[in-house]
Amino acid sequence: MAMAKVVRVSLSLISFLLMLLSPAASIGQSDGPRSGKILVVVDDFAIRSSHSIFFNSLLDRGFNLDFKLADDPSISLQSFGNYQYDGLVIFSPSAKQIGRSLTSSGVLEFVDSGRDLILAADLHASDFIREIATECGADFDEDRNAVVIDHTSYAVSDAEGDHTLIASEDILKSVVFFGEKEIEAPVLFRGIAHTLNPANNMAVKVLSASPSAYSANPNGLISKSPGLSGSTISLVSTVQARNNARMLVSGSLDLFSNRFFKSNVQKSGSSTSHKIAGNEQFVTEISKWVFHERGHLKAVNVTHHKIGEIEEPSMYRIKDDSVYSVEIYEWSGTSWEPYVADDVQLQFYMMSPYVLKTLSTDQKGVYSTTFKVPDVYGVFQFKVEYQRLGYTSLSLSEQIPVRPFKHNEYERFLTAAYPYYGAAFSSMTGFFLFTVVYLYNK
Amino acid sequence: MAKSTDNDAMALIQALRSAYSSTPKNLKIIDLYVVFAVITALIQVIYMAFVGSFPFNSFLSGVLSCVGTAVLAVCLRIQVNKENTDFKNLAPERAFADFILCNLVLHLVIMNFLG
Repeated sequence: MAMAKVVRVSLSLISFLLMLLSPAASIGQSDGPRSGKILVVVDDFAIRSSHSIFFNSLLDRGFNLDFKLADDPSISLQSFGNYQYDGLVIFSPSAKQIGRSLTSSGVLEFVDSGRDLILAADLHASDFIREIATECGADFDEDRNAVVIDHTSYAVSDAEGDHTLIASEDILKSVVFFGEKEIEAPVLFRGIAHTLNPANNMAVKVLSASPSAYSANPNGLISKSPGLSGSTISLVSTVQARNNARMLVSGSLDLFSNRFFKSNVQKSGSSTSHKIAGNEQFVTEISKWVFHERGHLKAVNVTHHKIGEIEEPSMYRIKDDSVYSVEIYEWSGTSWEPYVADDVQLQFYMMSPYVLKTLSTDQKGVYSTTFKVPDVYGVFQFKVEYQRLGYTSLSLSEQIPVRPFKHNEYERFLTAAYPYYGAAFSSMTGFFLFTVVYLYNK
Repeated sequence: MAKSTDNDAMALIQALRSAYSSTPKNLKIIDLYVVFAVITALIQVIYMAFVGSFPFNSFLSGVLSCVGTAVLAVCLRIQVNKENTDFKNLAPERAFADFILCNLVLHLVIMNFLG
């Protein structure tokens, strides 16, 4: 008992010293969209050392980590209604709840407020963990004893020989999730399977199992075909909610461990042996995405005005020429960089878009376009709706009324009416000539 | 049968022409003016049929100027015609002055309505 307390105190001293040693890095996250304070909930503090490479990489990037045991009664996510942390890492697969009273609904409220979550499960994951995952969109296999087994895609170094250590190369190919550098080595995984609802377009399979994987109890005989198999199994998934909260659900806690990070890996059936598994790169890059160091956009400085003017008018007139501009930046982990894309579109919208134009960028984050206000009057909105996989969604809207012509703004002489003007004048001259002729004929 | 109707039509036209040639000169001038005004109105109607009635006020204004002045000319002709006994007591100068005044008012209205 006292030993554990000594260990706890010394570990917190060490983390305090670590925080002092990296002052510059810890300021780095405060400019960004999140404050950088993360609560890490663990089953026992051995995880701190067995997963230290992962935690140190977070500390290096400027995050403040707070380690707490799952049953620590002093855990509180909120203080006087304000959340104290912007990220939650739950590395306690067997915890029934967090702290004294934090159940799955408390964690889900945390996510609903726009904050991020990394959830790692394992064999014998508790109901608490399963419920959180289900609410996030990832359904773990109902069989409590089932793990992912793959007889063609296992890691050859697996000592137990039951093919539960998977070497997976089915990593989602996406620059926004994983950065520019491709992950060449397979990723080691040992844990349980989950599925995503295919209709859910906010959840993405980041690490998938091969078509020959299945989820079953490795110690028993299989009497019926496994419920989850092949491509329906997801090993690691991410979810981005509509309020831009990001969640990572992993079926394996060992995926994050030092042992897997440093291990060499050879996939069965392949002759290449990689000195280092892809786990470290995989986990580092995906944690950058989860904690908003990549793919987080902000749009500032929305302006619109008539061509040739600078001030924003309170109202447009039909057939005016309007210029709209917005600046979009992406958080790079240390600073806001200009976001460069060619598919940001502007809608001039009243019940349906009357004008839809792609904004052109000057590569420094300023997006602008000009267009002619349509021939319809009413109350319009300048709308930018930008939803791309892996990026936060942008939803900008500026309301502006559009009026018709004033009576003195019409063209003076209409070309279509020239014959009528001509006819009226010709009848006048005809009348004049007639009077002359009539009066002066003999 | 057809030949006889043809002959009748020719005879009718001949009779009309000879009868018309005996009308006084000033009436003929008025008739010419009326024909000119009606043709101008017809041209405008045909134009509107092609192009559509977009500036409808201009169309009405143009047509009204022609038709109105035609109507006034017809009134003048009735009043000035010596064979018309209803207007025996009306001096032709008075009729002509009415004609001019009414036309002035008409064209004032037309210019306003033309847009």
